[in-house]
Amino acid sequence: MRQVLSLFVSLAVVLIQLLSPHRIVRVAVASPRPRTDPRQVLAIIVNRSNPAENLSFAELRKIFLGERSRWPNGHRVVVTMMESGNSERETMLREVYHMNENGYRDYFLKGTYTGDIPASPKTVSSPVILRKFVFNTPGAIGYLRASDVDGSVKVVSIDGRLPDAFDYKLRIEGPAK
Amino acid sequence: MRSHILQVGTSPVSLAGWASLKRVFPLMLGILLNVTTLQAQQVDQGADVDKQTIDLLLRKIEQLEAAHKQLQDRVTQLEKAQHGLAQDSTIQSRALGDTEIAQHALAKDSAPQSPAHLAIRSETLAGGQGGEAAPERIEESKTLLNIRGFGDYSFHGQDQKGASTSFSLGQVDLFITSNISDRFRFVTDLVFEKGRGNNFEEDLERVLLEYRHSDYLKLELGRSHTAIGYYNLAFRHSSWWQTATGRPYLFLFEDEGGILPGHNVGASASGGIPSGKLGLHYIAEVGNGRAPMPRFQSVQNFVDNNHHKSFDLNVFARPEAVPGLQAGFSVYRDVLSPPNSARVGETILDAYAVLTRSKFEWLNEALLIRHSPVGLPRVWNTPGFYTQISEGFGSFRPYFRYQYVNAPDDEPIFFPLYQVSVGLQHGPSLGLRYDFNESVAAKLQYDYTDLRRVQGISQQSISQLALQLTFAF
Repeated sequence: MRQVLSLFVSLAVVLIQLLSPHRIVRVAVASPRPRTDPRQVLAIIVNRSNPAENLSFAELRKIFLGERSRWPNGHRVVVTMMESGNSERETMLREVYHMNENGYRDYFLKGTYTGDIPASPKTVSSPVILRKFVFNTPGAIGYLRASDVDGSVKVVSIDGRLPDAFDYKLRIEGPAK
Repeated sequence: MRSHILQVGTSPVSLAGWASLKRVFPLMLGILLNVTTLQAQQVDQGADVDKQTIDLLLRKIEQLEAAHKQLQDRVTQLEKAQHGLAQDSTIQSRALGDTEIAQHALAKDSAPQSPAHLAIRSETLAGGQGGEAAPERIEESKTLLNIRGFGDYSFHGQDQKGASTSFSLGQVDLFITSNISDRFRFVTDLVFEKGRGNNFEEDLERVLLEYRHSDYLKLELGRSHTAIGYYNLAFRHSSWWQTATGRPYLFLFEDEGGILPGHNVGASASGGIPSGKLGLHYIAEVGNGRAPMPRFQSVQNFVDNNHHKSFDLNVFARPEAVPGLQAGFSVYRDVLSPPNSARVGETILDAYAVLTRSKFEWLNEALLIRHSPVGLPRVWNTPGFYTQISEGFGSFRPYFRYQYVNAPDDEPIFFPLYQVSVGLQHGPSLGLRYDFNESVAAKLQYDYTDLRRVQGISQQSISQLALQLTFAF
């Protein structure tokens, strides 16, 4: 009789353990998150001397729109874009600028004409050149596929999220390179 | 010890040992001498070997130095080649689409390299780039002179008596900027336009020096467009940026018969106001104001005809929540000193709300011009407004504008000083813009204007049709 009772108690303990919320949480935490392909996300990069570690998405948008001309350390903001015709630039136009190529062109042309924008973005032809440009220019900011980033530049988080976060905003549509 | 030997020497056994010792001693001495000689020979031979080694090493060092020099020369050649490539084609620091008289210079803020950079460079040279070329200095090119141009031609006709259909050369606006340094910029609008009679006239419509201290403070000195309301600053002298063929009547420039002081010579401060998502901005100006002279000389470029300076404050918001929305107001104040008459206070109040997006535009602006001669209790008010809406459908963009202005008959400034009869004018405009490509567009516009109390025009209304070709270059 005592053995039967102890068996029931043991079963009850196992059941409670299985059904407890902590157990459920542990199961949820242990479930695999979708992995982020570094070739399919855009990392926002700055010069390593730039003290910025994190930008809000609104700040990022203002910077790329030319509405912020100086970093907190006094360096001039130099926005660097890649030439048209690649998915990295298309991602930036879609997610950050909310413009197409013509809108982007008109925006900066008119902005410099009216004096609202101090300078148009620099345009480079390849990720390697963009990385080198950011490496060499203290106030530069640009973007690369996360897989193209190396230690010569610094990746800043956007709204506290780095490119490997599962809810990172700047995702590239189309095939991975 | 000696006593012991003597003692040993005295015994028979000791004598036998002494004899053997005598035989062994020369042998030991010989061995000792041989060893010493051998050692001396070894030392001499070692010295020879070291000398040979040193010679060998020196030759090696010379060879390595030569190889090092060759490599250095090669690296220098490659760097020069890559640098030239970067300057010529890769780093295209063109302001997007800008025509450049390109002179690239080393950006001051890109020149200094921190130790951290050098460390990274060493790492990457050591193979940290995974086989790619190590980061090298790329000069952030600066364009010393940018030129953009805007122009237009038109063909127009109206039903006013005495008017004929005409081809017209519009304004050719050369917008020239130069980034003098990190914070200073020179800006000018050199405009070739219709002058008196049927001739051309060149005009420096905007010529100023800009100092951008921060996002909150930009200083300008020189001649620019008065910061009254929205339209005067948003479109300036470019018909390319305007959806319609021309400016609203209220915002015509002085030399086109406008009633506002469109240009001013002086100084201004502008920038953002820390206001979070509200996006507040300000423009504060002080200048010569306009002269009470015929409209062609009303901008006081060199001399102010009185001590009183014009003041202008324009405050507007660009809220984050509604992209493309800008709403604000401006207050302009000056005192005019007409010859042989009392001074006249001039106050211009303007309020506006515009929504501009790539495919949609809705402009609304109203203003009130108040003239109050000193010593008189009366104030002459001239109200006016315009509204304009357009939406793009592919390359087509239909638009509609309605405008209104109503000046008193005895207004003391417009007609007596500027020979501009305003009266009551109002009416709609309807048009269609077609963009052939990103730099050329055509506009077809019909205007109907109802006129009252306008001197020199006997008709009650005027209809006009205009076809305009506008372009950016």
